[in-house]
Amino acid sequence: MAMIDIHVKILRYQPGKDDKPGWQDFAISVEDEATILDVLNEIHWRHDGTLAYRRSCRSSICGSCAMKVNGRNVLACETPIHRFGSKLKIEPLSGFEIIKDLVVDLEPFFAKLKRIKPYLIVDKPLPDKEFVQTQEQLEQIGESTLCILCAACSAACPSSWPNQEYLGPAALLKAYRFVFDSRDDGADQRLEIVNDKNGVWRCHTIFNCMEACPKKIKITEYLSRLKVKVVENSL
Amino acid sequence: MEKNFKQTSRTGSLAWLLQRLSAVVLFVLLLFHFLTYHFLTRTRAVEYRQVLERAQSWWFPLLQFAFLITALYHGLNGIWSVLEDYTTNKHWRLAWYCLLLTVGVVLLFVGTLTIIKLYTLKVG
Repeated sequence: MAMIDIHVKILRYQPGKDDKPGWQDFAISVEDEATILDVLNEIHWRHDGTLAYRRSCRSSICGSCAMKVNGRNVLACETPIHRFGSKLKIEPLSGFEIIKDLVVDLEPFFAKLKRIKPYLIVDKPLPDKEFVQTQEQLEQIGESTLCILCAACSAACPSSWPNQEYLGPAALLKAYRFVFDSRDDGADQRLEIVNDKNGVWRCHTIFNCMEACPKKIKITEYLSRLKVKVVENSL
Repeated sequence: MEKNFKQTSRTGSLAWLLQRLSAVVLFVLLLFHFLTYHFLTRTRAVEYRQVLERAQSWWFPLLQFAFLITALYHGLNGIWSVLEDYTTNKHWRLAWYCLLLTVGVVLLFVGTLTIIKLYTLKVG
């Protein structure tokens, strides 16, 4: 491991204090195998303690540290700096209000998630031990259950930027996850919610969500299946 | 937050389905258009008389009219879909909708007139 010098530009903003977001430059030395989170920690611990950013698990599972680096939405904890070179430009996720620096207000994101009832709805009698699923039934939802709710997809979606009422890819993916779950009985309720101008029909298969997803979930494909399901259900 | 998620309209599924169906129909019609206009000609070059003869066969106006209707629906529905992304104000939405509807009616009128004119034109 060797130390390298890098140049980091971070979009700083503190509502109530700053008029508008502005760039701050940092020249720091980090290990060549460092991640974006290591870079932010280095700045926070040794250069400027006022820098605000979210972090928690450091293992790309909590979804706290999603941010935009050199124009791409990534998880800071899992992204090595060598992916971008020695010049980094770090910004908060687009489409959300900034609370401070790289910390955005995710309340609207989670409110939309709640809207599609992100939990198992069971009307049939509960089995004695457990729900049994076939391999095919599991595979139908398998990948979609990997979502860690980091909001990288919704922040990358151009349909979400101008329309704050659009449910967004994360909530719609969660709807898919339950609609296609063989154990769930709430499909009709969810399909009614997503069959809306601000629901699944605002998705124009742009694929930005898929590109931004740190778990490489094929979100656009699942949303297309959801659209077909809505059509089958409503016509 | 609840006010942000009011159901707006339930026509999304039909518009989405018709957009895809019209795309498939357009593709087939376009192939047919190219074949009949540009490839299946009796002479090497496309001639006025030949085009006019074809335009006056019984199937041609029907094909062109189907083309006109499908292209108008597909194009205007596509624009409407984009406008809906960026227009949240309901008055602006209504204004755009009326404008698109007017454009559609005018183009349908002009297109139909052209098809009729081609069909009834005397081959000199």
